[in-house]
Amino acid sequence: MQGIILFVFLVSTYLMVIAKRIPALISSFRYQSLCLAAITIIIALTQHEPYLYIIAGLLFALKVSLIPYILYRIIRKINVNEDLGLFVNPQLSMLWALAFTYLSWVFASFLVGTNNAMLTITLAIAFFVVLSGIFLMIFRMTALSQIIGLLVMENGIFLLASTVSGGMPFFVEIAIFFDVLVSVLIMGFFIYRINKLFTHIDVNKLSRLKG
Amino acid sequence: MVIFVILGIPLLLALGSLLIRNKDFSGFINCFGYFIALCASVILFRKIILVGHIQTLFNLIYLDILSSVFIVIISVVAFAAALYSVGYIKKDIEQRIISEKKARFYYLLFNLFCFSMFCVPAMNHLGMLWVAIEMTTLISAFLVGFYNSKESVEAAWKYIIICSVGIIFALLGTILFSYVFSNSGLSKSLNWSDMAPVAHILDKNILKVAFIFILVGYGTKAGLAPMHTWLPDAHSQAVAPISALLSGVLLKTAIYAILRFGIIIIKSGELLYFMHLMIIFGVISLIISSGFILVQKDLKRLLAYSSIEHIGIISIGFGLGSPLAIAAAILHIFNHAVTKSLMFFGAGNIVRAYKKHNMNAISGVIKVLPFTGIIIFLGMFALTGFPPFSIFISELMIIIAAFNKGAYFIAVLLLIFLGVVFGGFIYHFSKILFGNLPKGMVKQGEPLSGKLAFLFLFSLICGLGVVLIFKNKDLIWLAQRLLQG
Repeated sequence: MQGIILFVFLVSTYLMVIAKRIPALISSFRYQSLCLAAITIIIALTQHEPYLYIIAGLLFALKVSLIPYILYRIIRKINVNEDLGLFVNPQLSMLWALAFTYLSWVFASFLVGTNNAMLTITLAIAFFVVLSGIFLMIFRMTALSQIIGLLVMENGIFLLASTVSGGMPFFVEIAIFFDVLVSVLIMGFFIYRINKLFTHIDVNKLSRLKG
Repeated sequence: MVIFVILGIPLLLALGSLLIRNKDFSGFINCFGYFIALCASVILFRKIILVGHIQTLFNLIYLDILSSVFIVIISVVAFAAALYSVGYIKKDIEQRIISEKKARFYYLLFNLFCFSMFCVPAMNHLGMLWVAIEMTTLISAFLVGFYNSKESVEAAWKYIIICSVGIIFALLGTILFSYVFSNSGLSKSLNWSDMAPVAHILDKNILKVAFIFILVGYGTKAGLAPMHTWLPDAHSQAVAPISALLSGVLLKTAIYAILRFGIIIIKSGELLYFMHLMIIFGVISLIISSGFILVQKDLKRLLAYSSIEHIGIISIGFGLGSPLAIAAAILHIFNHAVTKSLMFFGAGNIVRAYKKHNMNAISGVIKVLPFTGIIIFLGMFALTGFPPFSIFISELMIIIAAFNKGAYFIAVLLLIFLGVVFGGFIYHFSKILFGNLPKGMVKQGEPLSGKLAFLFLFSLICGLGVVLIFKNKDLIWLAQRLLQG
């Protein structure tokens, strides 16, 4: 079961890497977060940790519902071109993603060995998701895709935390959630400001400060 | 209990800034509050030297000598910045750059920012440490983009994005640390007080990988090159008192986080690994920043690159690893915080008077702003490491430590680049301080609170420069205790 969900998690990340438009990116992010919530529930069932149910609930509330809603709202409000402005076309991005997958596998098997296959696979997928988050941040030009890239990286880290160390203590987990929410709100606020001052959200054209 | 006073004051003041309508009074109460915080932090420091360490609030708060040193540094710069803010914000309101409502917003953010920085050294749990550092980024992003101009919003965006990515790497590293810890068969915990005593039985290979993530992650926040790109933008666009806080203490809180993890690495027996990494990043920072200092045209960016240079020196100091070098690095953190705040306050006054950042358009500061001009003139020598100022002592100690260790290459490198930076500073500052006045500039008055802030910082710089010569044994003793835990 966990394997299937992990697979969907992986596929949704590939979808994000090849997405051309912002709404497609957000909906893939939604699927990814949903998988993460499902994995957390499975871990809660196997490890009998009741607080993990709350975490799964929070994941659902924040990353599946609230944050995508905020992002959609930003797109509607600023009425901006929905193209992501790819630096690297989808085919090449997919090749990059495959290379990342292999690299993460190598790194994961270096860290924990291959005795426990499930652990290694989960770890590899987590690292891959972090890497593709960075990829989205660097090779897509809008400010919105940078926020999503950041959230994708966070999802990867979250997967890592819940599988590898059985999660952080409850209050730390809550604090991190709060942090994520606040950072998305603040970045959204700055996107409004950028759009107001520059009349675009193309980060590549933000180049007034140099040297 | 003193720690609750220190953490409570900024929160109370934040609340006060919302309630108090009278702007003179809110500025005054701010200074008063941070003065009490400063006294409390000194009391705390003395207490911890006697007791060793304190743990309170359900193990959430853990304080040892290292954290109390950082709390003292934060409170010194916060007090100076609060003093300076009074005059600065008042003038902003008078010149209609910001509204009174926005000034209240400024004080709210200022206090929250200080609160989040005080939290960083106080946290016991390494996950909470991460949360506190991320909070500092989120709050100060507003202060970087405070003036809402195109440049400042761009700087704020770069700041928040680059630092958030960096800090996610740090979270990755933190989780790997917790993995190592839970793998060793002990209870699952990320409390520093639980991890440090058992560091020697942890799996070294994964620890080493995890530390790279920590160093890259928190190093981004600390401004270590090549992850420094957000720093000159953010420091040059922030409100002047905030530039001082960013450069003086925010960078140092990230260094604190690196040290916390570094101590675990050292205790697990990988001292050399830690030393090499710190020295490599330090040297890269030194080289890159000195290049940018030479060709710089913007006054505040010049000071920002100088921060990168000093972070590099601090990192080399920790990398050398001997008690003398560690003592020097800790001392350098303090000296740099004080001196750089002084310079940023001065730069704030200059930019206010000339309405420009570009150094080609600024000249004759000493005639327009006599007090600021003289302080900046002396501060320039202090910053580049001239006797009798305090930075001279800490830099000298680091160089001596390098020679003692036989690291001649590093010592020579340090000397060369310090010389280069000194040349750059003399060139730039002699141009702006002296020379003819631009057309239409007249002599201007300076607010009293700003002058007081200058005098407070300057007395610390001079005082330490003299006192430390006689106190170096105490310092080395302190550094040995720091390394032990």
